[in-house]
Amino acid sequence: MKFAPSNQPYDTGNFAVFTKNLEKQFGSFTAVKHVNLAVEQGEIFGFLGANGAGKTTAIRMLCGLLLPTSGSGTVAGFDVWRESEKIKQNIGYMSQKFSLYNDLTLAENVEFYGGVYGLNRKTIKEKRHELLDSLGLTASAGRLTRDMPLGYKQRLALGCALLHNPKIIFLDEPTAGVDPEARRNFWELIHELADKGKTVFVTTHYMDEAEYCNRVSIMYQGEIVALGSPQSLRHEYKKASMADVFIKLVDK
Amino acid sequence: MQQILYLIQKEFRQVFRDPSMLFIIFFAPIVQTTVLGLAITVDVKNIQTVITDYDNSTASLAIRRKFKNNPYFSVSGYVESPVQLREKMDGWGAQLAIVIPSHFERDLVRSQQPAIQVIVDGVDGNSAGIALGYALGVLSDYTIDVAMANPALAFSARRIPLVAPLARMWYNLDLESKNYMVPGLIAVLLTMVSLFLSSMGLVREKELGTLEQLMVTPIKTWQLILGKVSPFLILGFLGLAMMLLVAFVVFQLKVAGSLVLLFGLSALFLLTTLGLGILVSTLAHTQQQAMFISWFFMVFLVFMSGFLFPIKNMPHWVQLLTYLNPMRYFIIILREIFLKGSSLKFLLNEIFALVLFASTILTLSSLRFQKRVS
Amino acid sequence: MSRIFPIIIKEFIHISRDFRTLIVVIVLPVVMLFLYGFAINMEIQNINMLVLDHSNSPESSSLIRKFSGSDFYTVLPFDGTEAEIETIFANREADMALILAGDFAAEHARSPETTVQILIDASDPNAAQAIRNYTNTVIQFYNMAHGAKPSFEITPTVWYNPSLKSAYFFVPGLAALILIMISALLTSVAIVREKETGTMEQILVSPVRPVEIIIGKVVPYIILAFLDLIIILNIAYFVFDVPFVGSLGLLIFCSLLFIFTSLSLGLFISTKARAQQVAMMMALVATLLPTVMLSGFMFPLSSLPAPLRVLSHLVPARYYLVIIRGIMLKGNHFLQLLPQVLALAGMAIVLMVVSARKFKTNLEG
Repeated sequence: MKFAPSNQPYDTGNFAVFTKNLEKQFGSFTAVKHVNLAVEQGEIFGFLGANGAGKTTAIRMLCGLLLPTSGSGTVAGFDVWRESEKIKQNIGYMSQKFSLYNDLTLAENVEFYGGVYGLNRKTIKEKRHELLDSLGLTASAGRLTRDMPLGYKQRLALGCALLHNPKIIFLDEPTAGVDPEARRNFWELIHELADKGKTVFVTTHYMDEAEYCNRVSIMYQGEIVALGSPQSLRHEYKKASMADVFIKLVDK
Repeated sequence: MQQILYLIQKEFRQVFRDPSMLFIIFFAPIVQTTVLGLAITVDVKNIQTVITDYDNSTASLAIRRKFKNNPYFSVSGYVESPVQLREKMDGWGAQLAIVIPSHFERDLVRSQQPAIQVIVDGVDGNSAGIALGYALGVLSDYTIDVAMANPALAFSARRIPLVAPLARMWYNLDLESKNYMVPGLIAVLLTMVSLFLSSMGLVREKELGTLEQLMVTPIKTWQLILGKVSPFLILGFLGLAMMLLVAFVVFQLKVAGSLVLLFGLSALFLLTTLGLGILVSTLAHTQQQAMFISWFFMVFLVFMSGFLFPIKNMPHWVQLLTYLNPMRYFIIILREIFLKGSSLKFLLNEIFALVLFASTILTLSSLRFQKRVS
Repeated sequence: MSRIFPIIIKEFIHISRDFRTLIVVIVLPVVMLFLYGFAINMEIQNINMLVLDHSNSPESSSLIRKFSGSDFYTVLPFDGTEAEIETIFANREADMALILAGDFAAEHARSPETTVQILIDASDPNAAQAIRNYTNTVIQFYNMAHGAKPSFEITPTVWYNPSLKSAYFFVPGLAALILIMISALLTSVAIVREKETGTMEQILVSPVRPVEIIIGKVVPYIILAFLDLIIILNIAYFVFDVPFVGSLGLLIFCSLLFIFTSLSLGLFISTKARAQQVAMMMALVATLLPTVMLSGFMFPLSSLPAPLRVLSHLVPARYYLVIIRGIMLKGNHFLQLLPQVLALAGMAIVLMVVSARKFKTNLEG
């Protein structure tokens, strides 16, 4: 594999995410095949692919939700096999479903996740004000989450995943089903996070969103078929857009 | 510790926001204890009775009156012929029939031992046996009447010594089945609510995706389990308190033993059923499946608990299986504390069994309930 | 009509894919049948009897021998005081105690009637009742053996179930329980599931008419329920030897009617509930519990308090239980069961009309 970072010095601690031949099988079906990645700190790393390409499985292995079948990997310097609980202290994760409780109010959701992350009461209170303020939701703090538009839910969910100030953030299809304007706003938010030095690992099946990333990998049937910056990939495959790059790769 | 408190707080907020949940947790136990407590009765009353009287004498009239005046029997009529009787019984018009032969009085006077036939509809074997027993009681009562009224007819009572049993019923003087059934019912309802709520509550979070979110937080598995279990433990206590109130207000049933002991041991039992709920949640992907699996467990738990059917009478291998049923022990505990006021030392075996179950099931479910997705 | 078939097939695919539901539908009935058939026995079989023989005479021994000679009693001789009996009862080591006073032999010789004291642990009143009956019978035998002769004889006769087997009672009853479980509970949950997931809307915008949707959803469950009925009847007849006196055709006709009534009930519930959890709970409260408690399935209707007895007229299983037990055990013919058949049909029609209206307004509104 020419994309494999095999010539790198084997000091995984420098990378936010590092994997070597990471693989996951469900029965006889291989969902993720030989994935080799090295994500730099502070990078926005896009994980592209069609639905069912194995993105979610890969991200779940990195977050410690799923044990790999073989291969190795570290996240924030911690081993995915043995130190998944330490990984969890250092990452934020937002799944496709946004995972807020619809029958709690916005403020209650923030309080709850703050509590679960083990923040003290004072910090929770501060963070709640800060977060709701920054989203312009202070007036709606007492409203039930189910009554809010999807775009707001998505940003609040991200806020909740960041309450404990993690170094690395995993976002699984954060923009699925959200309208274009809200999608753009959300990517601005991601860039702000990267500016603050956080590593953002994001999956998406919208190819246009690849342009917002520093580097992307394209996954197809469980394998990474291309990896690099959007510009270099477009150049390499001589296409005008990432969508065309993707179609070309998949057609092969 | 603080994490657990936040989990508990969240759970309560959700429960108190959902009217149908409130209904299930608070209203349902009250209604169910009342209605089921009234309905579940092995007492046999109002036995539909017909009488065929071929004699029409003073003696036979006396017997008819005996049945008419007895509160357990409801004499619905008199039939003339065996054919009519058959029709009546076939058509569910009577459960019991008394057939007084012709010349009954004459034979009685002549000490020729006439025979009265008691026919019972045996479809419901248990009730039939009891009804038959009552009828025999009424008739032997009549024997004594006869003896009293006419010493000449008495069965030589003065010459042959008799042994007469004098039975005293302990713990349940009036043989009221509610005294026995209501404590059992409380155990059943407590199991049902705790098992269904905990299994479905967790699976609901699975369906919604919030469980996955919780799993990527640094919270420990045991904290997560404890945080999910404690709210239901508290709700279970509330439900128990309300059912005890119903038992007292509606059924005049007072707990004879220590309330502290009752609640303490209920907590032990609830830990077992809640643990089982968590175990069920690891087997199910949807709430519907959780419901069905819980239900499957319920059938066995209730059936083999001695709630309705005496364990003693089951085939040996089934009896052995009942030892694996935590509800069996809890029902004994509840009945003993309720009726006999038993103290801790009489319940040690049951308590030991429950401790064993609670710890095993909780360990097992924490092992199965990993902070990983499957 | 041909548009219904895709829906039926879809529903069957749903059912057969869902392994756990299949277990509930096929395995649970059979398991319940075997449990109820084999393991329920309300008869008391082993009575542990403490004997406090203060008399220690040939007369007292002779009475005790009557008990130890019976299959039902295990005689436990006991030297302690009466106060200690309390502890033994509390430990559930004995069910009853027989106390023979010190002057038992003397009284027996002198007086026409000698009292013996019997203490029974009545925490299970049903068992206590039976224990008292048995004990009285044993003592009567003792009296008869010593020459007592009652003034008249009583000949008990049991019809339809001479050996008073529990299986005759419970196995046909289970048919009612299982049929209503599948036809009311599963249908209501299945329909509400489609509402919840939004697939109902998808079907509704297709050119299929509401009636066709209902029929399509319901037919698979009729077939499943019917399958269960066949299984139950076979097990009843071949495994538990429950007699089948009446007409099979009549039973099948009435069973279809009952299934239809239960389905109407399920449909009615589904028009009321929006979430599966709610549908499940409503179905439980509206079908399962009344079917077990207020139908005569287990507890005789005549023993219910009056308000509940009135309420029981609204429980479909009440009528079906009379039908199935009547046909199987008593050989009832159609005319004898006419009131029950009419009641079931009436309920079905009312429920159908109401839920069809509801269903329609739900779609339009």
